[in-house]
Amino acid sequence: MAATAMDHDGGEVVTPGELLGNSSLLAGLGAYADGRCVRASITGHRRLVPPPPGSTDQRSTVEVVGHKAHGAVPQPGSVVIARVTKVMARMASADIMCVDSKAVKEKFTGMIRQQDVRATEIDKVDMFQSYRPGDIVRALVLSLGDARAYYLSTAQNELGVVSAQSITGGTLVPISWTEMQCELTGQIEQRKVAKVE
Amino acid sequence: MSAAATAGTYSPASAAGEKRRERKEELRRHLAEDADWPRADGRSFHDCRPAFMQTGPTTAASGSAYAEFGKTKVIVSVFGPRESKKAMLYSDTGRLNCNVSYTTFATPIRGQGTDNKEYSAMLHKALEGAVMLHTFPKTTVDVFALVLESGGSDLPIIISCASLALADAGIMMYDLVTSVSVSCFGKNIIIDPTSDEEAWQDGSLMVAYMPARKEITQLTLTGEWSDGKITNAVELCMDACSKLCDILRERLKDASSLAE
Repeated sequence: MAATAMDHDGGEVVTPGELLGNSSLLAGLGAYADGRCVRASITGHRRLVPPPPGSTDQRSTVEVVGHKAHGAVPQPGSVVIARVTKVMARMASADIMCVDSKAVKEKFTGMIRQQDVRATEIDKVDMFQSYRPGDIVRALVLSLGDARAYYLSTAQNELGVVSAQSITGGTLVPISWTEMQCELTGQIEQRKVAKVE
Repeated sequence: MSAAATAGTYSPASAAGEKRRERKEELRRHLAEDADWPRADGRSFHDCRPAFMQTGPTTAASGSAYAEFGKTKVIVSVFGPRESKKAMLYSDTGRLNCNVSYTTFATPIRGQGTDNKEYSAMLHKALEGAVMLHTFPKTTVDVFALVLESGGSDLPIIISCASLALADAGIMMYDLVTSVSVSCFGKNIIIDPTSDEEAWQDGSLMVAYMPARKEITQLTLTGEWSDGKITNAVELCMDACSKLCDILRERLKDASSLAE
C-alpha cells in the first residue's frame, strides 16, 4: 500500500552524497545506506514517508524525488509499448518506445519469443499469425534477456497488438482476441490482440 | 534546462608576444627565489582561479555542464542510460564510456582536434568509483567532454564538470566528484596551475575526491616529490575539492529549484 508523503510541498533540495539521516531511517528511492548514514544518490527534493500501518519495521523511509530523472529504462515487470521490427519462425523483434507511461530517449531492442506470445496452446503458436512488422504491441518485460534484447511477453489478455495496419494500408480494428479487420477492405487478419480497456 | 549565471568569470587581457615573453622571464626569475610571490595572474600560491559552472547547455543530451576556470573552458555532455552496442557482451552492471577531445582551436598552436585517450581513461577511472553502475544494468552511459580552450589544469576541470553533468542527467551517484591539481616548484606548492606554470613545474599532483564520503577516486603523481610534501599537497587538494563541491551543489540546487 502506498503511504502519503509528509511534506506535500517537497522538502529541501539535496544533491548526490548529501546526508539525509542516520540509521533510524530507511533508504528509499534516490537514496542509499552508507554504514550508519543515509545519503542521497540523485538531485531532488527530500521526502519522508511514514511507515505503513501494521508493519514490523517502524522506521520512516526517506527518499529523493528527482527533478529530472534520466530517460526511462526497461526493468523486469515494466509494461512497455514496442513496435515490431522483424518476425521470425520462433520469435519477433521489437523496438521498445515507451516504458510504462514514459517515452524512452533512445530505442531499446526487445524480443517476443514463441512461448511468450499467449498463455494457451503455447505449442501451436504461429508467429506470423500473431504479429506483423510495424505493429504496435503492449508487452511485459520478463527479464533483461541477453546481450541483444530484453525478453518481452504478451501472454496476458491486456497485452498484445494495440495498433496495426493491413496489407493494403488501412487501419485494422480489433474484432476478437485473435482477429482484426481492415477498415477499408474488410479483410480479416490474424493477430494476438490486446484486450481493449 | 539551463540555470541562470550568477558570478561572471574574469578574462585576462590578451597578452602580446612581448608581454608573454616578459611574463615568462619574470616567472623564471621568481622560480629561483623561495618566497611567496604573486603569480602572473595575481593569485597567491593557494588560490584557485575564478570558477564559473552551469548546467544544461546541451539540450540534446540527458545532462550537460559547462565550466570555466580562468582561461580553461570545458563542456561535457552525458547521454543515456541507453542501449549498449551489439558487439558488447551482456553485463549485469551498467557501463560508463568516457571520451575527452580537444577542439582544433583549443591550444595556442592550432591542432587537429584529436581525441585524448589518456585523459579519457583517467576520466573514466575518476568517475566509475562514484557512479552507481548497478542501477542501470545492461545499458550504457556515455560521457563526452570537449575542451573548448586549454588554459592549464584541464583534466581536473573535466572531471569536476563531468560529475556535474552526470548529476544533471539524473544518474545515481554515491557522491559528486571534484578534482584539483597542484604543481611543485622547488620547495613551493601552487594550486590550480596555468599552462605557463605547468610548463615549468618540477612535478604535479592531481586528486579526484568525493568530499561527502571523504574518499579519493584517483591520484596522479608526476615528477619529483618528497614524502612530506606529497601529504601536504594531498591535503591542500582535498580542501580545495571540498570547497569546489560546495559550488557544484549550489549550482545543482539552483537548477533544481528553477525546474519546479
